[in-house]
Amino acid sequence: MLPSGSISATHVWKRFHADRRRKLLRDQVHHLSARLRGGGGRGWRWALRDVDLVAEPGDSVGLIGSNGSGKSTLLKILTRVMYPHTGSVKVVGRVGALIEVRAGIHPDLTGRENIQLYGTLLGLDRRRIRERFDEIVAFAELDDAIDRQLKFYSSGMQMRLGFAVAAFLEPDILLVDEVLAVGDASFQQRCLERMRAVLNQGTTLVFVSHDLAAVEATCSRGVWLHQGVLQSEGPVRDVVNAYRQSIEAAAESTTEVTGELRLIKAEVSGPDGSTPRTQEALDVQLVVESPDVRSGRLYIGVSEGPATPIFVLGRDIQLAVGEIKAHCAIRSLPLPRGRFYLWVGIFEGRQRDPLPWHPAGRFEVAGPGLDAAPRGIVRLAPVHVEAAWKVER
Amino acid sequence: MSGGADVPVVPPPEWRFRRTFHPAALFRELWEARALVWTLAEREIRIRYKQAILGFAWAVVTPVVLMVAFTLFRKAAKIDTGPVPYPLFTFIALIPWTFFSTSVAQGGLSLINNVPLLNKVYCPREVFPAASVVVAGIDSLISVSVLGLLFLRYGFMPKPTTIWLPVILPIQIMFTLGVTLVVSAVIVYLRDLRHALPLFLQMGLFITPVAFPLDVVPSRFRNLYVALDPLAAVIDSYRRTVLYGQLPSLSLLAIAAVSSSVALAGGYAAFKRLETGIADVA
Repeated sequence: MLPSGSISATHVWKRFHADRRRKLLRDQVHHLSARLRGGGGRGWRWALRDVDLVAEPGDSVGLIGSNGSGKSTLLKILTRVMYPHTGSVKVVGRVGALIEVRAGIHPDLTGRENIQLYGTLLGLDRRRIRERFDEIVAFAELDDAIDRQLKFYSSGMQMRLGFAVAAFLEPDILLVDEVLAVGDASFQQRCLERMRAVLNQGTTLVFVSHDLAAVEATCSRGVWLHQGVLQSEGPVRDVVNAYRQSIEAAAESTTEVTGELRLIKAEVSGPDGSTPRTQEALDVQLVVESPDVRSGRLYIGVSEGPATPIFVLGRDIQLAVGEIKAHCAIRSLPLPRGRFYLWVGIFEGRQRDPLPWHPAGRFEVAGPGLDAAPRGIVRLAPVHVEAAWKVER
Repeated sequence: MSGGADVPVVPPPEWRFRRTFHPAALFRELWEARALVWTLAEREIRIRYKQAILGFAWAVVTPVVLMVAFTLFRKAAKIDTGPVPYPLFTFIALIPWTFFSTSVAQGGLSLINNVPLLNKVYCPREVFPAASVVVAGIDSLISVSVLGLLFLRYGFMPKPTTIWLPVILPIQIMFTLGVTLVVSAVIVYLRDLRHALPLFLQMGLFITPVAFPLDVVPSRFRNLYVALDPLAAVIDSYRRTVLYGQLPSLSLLAIAAVSSSVALAGGYAAFKRLETGIADVA
């Protein structure tokens, strides 16, 4: 018998109908006759293929992967909302789950009634629910709205209530699916804090999110699903990095640059053409070809992942017919060791951008790594800061 | 880090997931879910009456209206009820019938109406239809008080044989619960049933001896009739014991008991089987 708070799911397969058809009599009759004629059954689509997920009490597992990779399905199987097609699933203890919380728990009931209902669904008696009631209301910042029907809540309020209920009713296992998508920044931070507190109490956490930094900050183990298959599993850092690289590669191959200007060369180098190093000089050399005379603003940016730049530099430029060289010298590079992307774009405020914002190259930086953030604290950007410590007593 | 690249196209059949049901574990789970049944029932009542002006009076509107209709209609049908006033005769049948039809109508939709909940949290699914049956039971209690008023109005007293009630009532509940369970699960897969259900219940009202005595059915068909519609025996027994001061027909009651047990056991088994796939199709 596994201890309370353990998860053991092995060889989990799950399939759905390829076409989510209406469940009408007409369809069933049609389906039946097709089967009798030997036309084969309907198509199945595998949502999960041979996935394992094992967690001991107190573990924190981050589940990552692109849309449709089966993360939510796996979570639903762990909550026993769904059953797998193949494999075995053992989940021991009370499970608090936040799946699709944005819809609230029941729209016609008030916030108070929702807390009671959800608590009962978790298997708590009414006294225990009453004990935690004030805490939940305070955390969700609902105060006077608690006696209003849920359908009159904003989506943020519904989500806050959902998270507060699941996180405060002392589950042995907490399954969280994309909670951070709706809340504002301060609530996100408090959610993460709460998750850390829950983890410290020994609750097992399975956390699904597209916010890789949040996953990295909260979880110790990472599980990466790709099209329903377990792609990799291990320490959260390694898995998140592997996943990040794969989405970068995918983004790179799909970006298509269409503009009137052409970027002929984009080169990044350290001092004297060597590898760029942390806190040393960095040179960016660009060559742009223009068909006519025009003016615009040239931007360059550096990003770690495929989207959000860590910093952006801009300058107005005049373009003449033919090639033009631009050179940007960064005196002291604030990046730690790692792989980064150079982004380039030229904009002039017209409908079509002459050179759209796109990744123009990749470069490695040598130097020291960053200190890890404390658990539950999301680091926004990987910036290296020169610092000198002094601890006295 | 471990990678997983070589996954077969289909899973080996011997790994097929099978739900196993241990009667003891099932029972324990149900027992632990009793608070949930009450909460859901309370919730259903709250939602139902929150926006209704007449409030709890709605619980008795249907049986009372039907009673009046049957009483008016009765003159043409020439039904002999002996010393018992006809409104009492039909109302005592309308209480179990309304219990059954409300349970099936509300409970039958309880799973599809709670799909948002079913997709979010686990609980033994039978709590939803069970809660509807509880709500119908509360409605019945209100109807029983109306029956009391009718007794007063006609200066009629329940007979001492009323003590048979605890024997008859479980049959009524078992049959109702069994049918409600099966309907609620099947309706998830076969949405047409939702529209056909009121029709079936309407027909049931005329097939079951609510407006007429059981004697109308020829005696050679009566056993089969009661086996298929245990409510007929339930209603007949209520009338005999409460109104006429007779013993219930034990053979008919026994047939009804067996048939209700089968309905409940079969309904529950079917429910548990169908339950596994509810989240996939809902």
